[in-house]
Amino acid sequence: MNSTHRMLLTALLAGLSSLNAPAAEWENAIISLQTTRKAFSYSRPWQRQSGSANKTAVMIGANEFLTTAEGLQDLTLLRLQKYGRGQWWAGELSWIDHHANIAVVRARDLAFNDGLKPVEIGTPDPSRTGWEIIRWKSGNLERRAAEYNQYLVQEGRLTFMQHLQLEASSEIDAVGWGEPMIADGRVVALSAGQTGNNVRLLPVSFFAPLLQNRREGGQRGLGYFPFVWTPVHNPDTFAHLGLPGEPRGALILDVPAVPAVKPNLKARDLILEVDGNPIDNEGYYRDPDHGLMILENLSTRGRLAGDTVKVKVWRNRAEATIEYPLPAANFTDRLLPFAAYDSEPEYLIVGGLVFQPLNLPLLQAFGQNWQQRAPLNLTKYSDEVPTPKRPGLVVLSMVLPDPFNLGYQDQRWLVVDKVNGRQIGGLPDLNAALAAPPNGFHEFAFMPGSGVERMVLDVAETPAATDRILHQYRIPAAAHPPAE
Amino acid sequence: MRFTLWLLLLVALSAAPASAFDPEKAVVQIFTASQEPDWVQPWQFGSVQRSSGSGFIIKGRRIMTNAHVVSWARQVLVKRFDDPRIYVARVKFVGHDCDLALLEVDDSLFFKDIEPLEFGELPKVRSTVVTYGYPAGGEQISFTRGVVSRIELQTYAHAGNRSLLGVQTDAAINPGNSGGPVIQDGKVIGVAFQGIPGLENAGFFIPPPVIEHFIEDISDGVYHGFPLTGIRTRPLQNPAYRRKLKLPDNGLGARVDSLIADMPAREKLRVDDVLLKIGDHEVGSDGNIVYAGNRLQLAAAIQEAQHGAEVPFTVWRDGREQEVLVPAVVDENDQHRGRQYDLPPRYFFFGGLVFTTASYDLLRTVGASSPARQALMYEIFYRRNEKPETLRPEPVAVSTVLQAESTANLRILPGSLIDKINGVKIDRLEDVVKAFAKVTDGQHVIEFQKEGQFECLDHKAASASNQQIMKLYGIPSDRRL
Repeated sequence: MNSTHRMLLTALLAGLSSLNAPAAEWENAIISLQTTRKAFSYSRPWQRQSGSANKTAVMIGANEFLTTAEGLQDLTLLRLQKYGRGQWWAGELSWIDHHANIAVVRARDLAFNDGLKPVEIGTPDPSRTGWEIIRWKSGNLERRAAEYNQYLVQEGRLTFMQHLQLEASSEIDAVGWGEPMIADGRVVALSAGQTGNNVRLLPVSFFAPLLQNRREGGQRGLGYFPFVWTPVHNPDTFAHLGLPGEPRGALILDVPAVPAVKPNLKARDLILEVDGNPIDNEGYYRDPDHGLMILENLSTRGRLAGDTVKVKVWRNRAEATIEYPLPAANFTDRLLPFAAYDSEPEYLIVGGLVFQPLNLPLLQAFGQNWQQRAPLNLTKYSDEVPTPKRPGLVVLSMVLPDPFNLGYQDQRWLVVDKVNGRQIGGLPDLNAALAAPPNGFHEFAFMPGSGVERMVLDVAETPAATDRILHQYRIPAAAHPPAE
Repeated sequence: MRFTLWLLLLVALSAAPASAFDPEKAVVQIFTASQEPDWVQPWQFGSVQRSSGSGFIIKGRRIMTNAHVVSWARQVLVKRFDDPRIYVARVKFVGHDCDLALLEVDDSLFFKDIEPLEFGELPKVRSTVVTYGYPAGGEQISFTRGVVSRIELQTYAHAGNRSLLGVQTDAAINPGNSGGPVIQDGKVIGVAFQGIPGLENAGFFIPPPVIEHFIEDISDGVYHGFPLTGIRTRPLQNPAYRRKLKLPDNGLGARVDSLIADMPAREKLRVDDVLLKIGDHEVGSDGNIVYAGNRLQLAAAIQEAQHGAEVPFTVWRDGREQEVLVPAVVDENDQHRGRQYDLPPRYFFFGGLVFTTASYDLLRTVGASSPARQALMYEIFYRRNEKPETLRPEPVAVSTVLQAESTANLRILPGSLIDKINGVKIDRLEDVVKAFAKVTDGQHVIEFQKEGQFECLDHKAASASNQQIMKLYGIPSDRRL
């Protein structure tokens, strides 16, 4: 860890541990959570199901309990329990960061806090020994040893972002729901997943800046590197770029227009250093705390969105240093949004034609192997970014058969281009277009490709047909959100 | 739907079909030694495959069989009914789109005392037919009797990208039967050609209209193929759409939904034209015509035309009927979207990189798990429909990078599509050759279609290693163009 970063992290951790209780009193700090949430079927967007999860949280302040965000999205009921048994107390979400997969919850009744004490939060033990994962199980505090496997930078559970994670081995089973890992009387990580005996954890050093920012009243989230880069193994590429000396640096292939960043990097920039850390030709740097790490880690290492990182690049056969402002991670940075947490799936039914925004959850409804199973005319958009002209896509996902839509009943998965002559970038556009039909007919134009390119519906008959179809198919509403 | 080709054999039955002569005498067994090219390393061919099929003698001292029986043939041998001798045959004409071929045998003894078979009419549904051939599992001719189950357009699996008229029968059609005649009233009313795995008691044969089209096509000494007009139609059953087009609700008319780029219909027809009649065939609102008593997709009417002919359309446009002549042409660009035969793949080799045509055959070879597969699929099947203005005449891909010292550091996925080389846009393989001749600063820069990706090759090192790698991998020539 470089000295600046170490000082910053120390300061953050000092702030977070101001209410700390004696380290050994885990039973007074760790609580159980029961969550119930809405689960949506994107293939039938008007339907609601429920999901539930049992989680663990740890007290970090007065009526503040830290856990992971997973299982808390689209929340309908949250209950808290202390000492592993007894009464369940009503709770609520205080704060959530989906990209970082962390959240803070609280009890509605402050009496829940009686007897509980916050714990100290610290970085993982540098010696990487003496770790334990801890939780309430059957009324007893279960503590299981955990051994260091590796630090790695990978896509998070609820985000497209890559960030620091810690993998440890443990005999504990069915964790990944916010169970804390402790060492030397401090919480050093939260569990976020498990495969076999390998537990995936979020180290405190990763999310401490977010907690500190929140404590200070800030609203900032994680920043990220939106550009696409590649390792360079070919010495001829370095020769082409005119880089003197040893092969080094990660080569930028593409800089998307969204998010807008100024000043920005450019395609064919070779990233030589980030914040003084030399980048090798594989795109890795030597992290003082975690060893060899991929350069994405430098976008979240002690940094938040809006912070600036100093990027030294090789551009046009000369070195240049860019004060690169980290853009905030935003699910709508992609043409097909990665997720839409805490909001119900949008749809609009017109005369039995079901329209939905095209997003990743909709594609994921094709199953685990959706990249192969979903139609190529949909998946081909998954790497694209929105533009002012086309901020999003709407797809005709199915037709609910009725005499009114006779002839269209087999159509599905058609990406909408225009409706009534108006270009469609989202359901609001579609609503606006349907409000202005020309010549008594709604005219739908779909993207050229693998299906029908045009459909027509009778404007005058559409409202009655829609009502009839909603009744016939037991669909509660023609749209979500309701059309204005 | 995935099709598998089965070969048919004639079954010699004790009860002969109702005809005055013995058709089985004109049915021959065909033995083929074939060699398919390696689409990834296109200078080499795979192992020699041996297969057998069936055929039958027609007038003009020719043998008709399926194209897939003789495709990629190195040697074709034929054997007559009840004759121990083997004769050498050669392919005179082949239509891979319609899966038909004509063979010739130089030895005049071959045709001695054999009455050539004649062609009959398209059979009726539910009528009885007999298939003749040499199916696998025995050496004697066999035949099986069945009825015509249905007649409609079928995907012809041999090319994979064409649907032509096909007849389904419950007469057994098994591997080895391919190319054998299907006979009714002593005349050939079909050529057995394929089955569908999992579909029991269902075999398919090529009916007379397709056979006659093939024979007429080759009358000028060249096979052109089945033409297209470039129209995509949709049924016009929705009442509102019909009202919008001011079309009476009479069950007639299919709507032109889109027109394929670079095809003749684009000049003659418009989107939302309604096709009322093609030739003499009325077009129903379901997009079908009545063809010899069978409801078939309207494409069947267009397929009656030969390459270059003008097909008369009656269309509904601007609220009235109009007559339009639309040329039907063979789409040369269509071939890369189907299986290719007999012409070895084009390629150019330089510095360890193998450049070849991005084709369906390459896509099949690249494999389902290749990260380059989606882009290749898009290029071959989707781009023409979605962004025809960006379509290249012959998209080029790197089929493989041959590992050598000079290529060890390259990271190019098999099937990666090329955008530019040394700043030259690659529209066809010849452009690759020209582009490598143009070096700017000692480095060749190869840009891929995937956003921003490129690789560099040192000109001197690549040129120096070229011969060495070719020798190492036994590449006889750096190009086949």
